Amino acid sequence: MHANVGDRIIVKGHHIGQIERECLVVEVHGADGAPPYLVRWKDSDHETLFFPGPDAEALSAGQSMR
Amino acid sequence: MRTIDNLRRSGIGIEPHQGIVDAARSMEHAGVGCLAVVEGEHVIGMVTDRDLVRRGLARGLPPDARVDSVMSTPVVTIDADADVHSAYALFRSHAVRRLAVVRGDRFVGILSVDDLLVDLTADLADLTRPVEGEVFFAHHDAAVPAER
Repeated sequence: MHANVGDRIIVKGHHIGQIERECLVVEVHGADGAPPYLVRWKDSDHETLFFPGPDAEALSAGQSMR
Repeated sequence: MRTIDNLRRSGIGIEPHQGIVDAARSMEHAGVGCLAVVEGEHVIGMVTDRDLVRRGLARGLPPDARVDSVMSTPVVTIDADADVHSAYALFRSHAVRRLAVVRGDRFVGILSVDDLLVDLTADLADLTRPVEGEVFFAHHDAAVPAER
C-alpha cells in the first residue's frame, strides 16, 4: 500500500455485524508513501501506528469508496 | 502458500517509549489484543493484553510506565514470503501464539495461531464433506458391469 498524508484508510470489519472503520493518515513513516502510517481513527480520534493488511484499503483525499 | 497470504488483519504498532495506558487504548480502539513494539520499521517486541495485566497491573506499574518494560522479547519472526508450513514449525518449537511477519528487517504484520486455525478448520470442513455424505445418507454402489 502507498498513501499520503490526508488520505483515508478503510478497514473492513472482522466479525459478523462489525462495521468497517475509517482512519486518516496523519504521518507517513515509510519511504515513498510506504507503511507504517500514523493514523487517526475517525470514531475515536485516537492515533495509532498502522501497518496495513488485506483488510485495509487506501483512498486518496476526495476519493470515494468503490 | 506464502505466510503473508494468511494474514487476516492489519497490524497495530506502538513505540517503546509510550506508556502502558497508551498500549491499552490502542488495543481498545483498534480492537486487537496484541501490538507490535516498533522502532521505525523494525519490530523489537510484542505486547499483549495479558502482558499489560500480568506485568503491568499486577505489579502495580504506573500508567505511564514504558511499554517496553512489559513487552515480550525476543520476537519470533517469519519472512513474509516463507511457506506457511514454516510458521507451523515455529509455533511448535517456540511455544508462542503469534509471529511477527517481516520483509527483510521491516515489520509487515502479525500472524496468529487463531488465523491458521480458522483456515485449517475451513480446509477440514471441505475434506469431511464427502465423508459426511457417506455417513448420513444412504450409499448405493454403482452396479458392476456384469449385472448390467
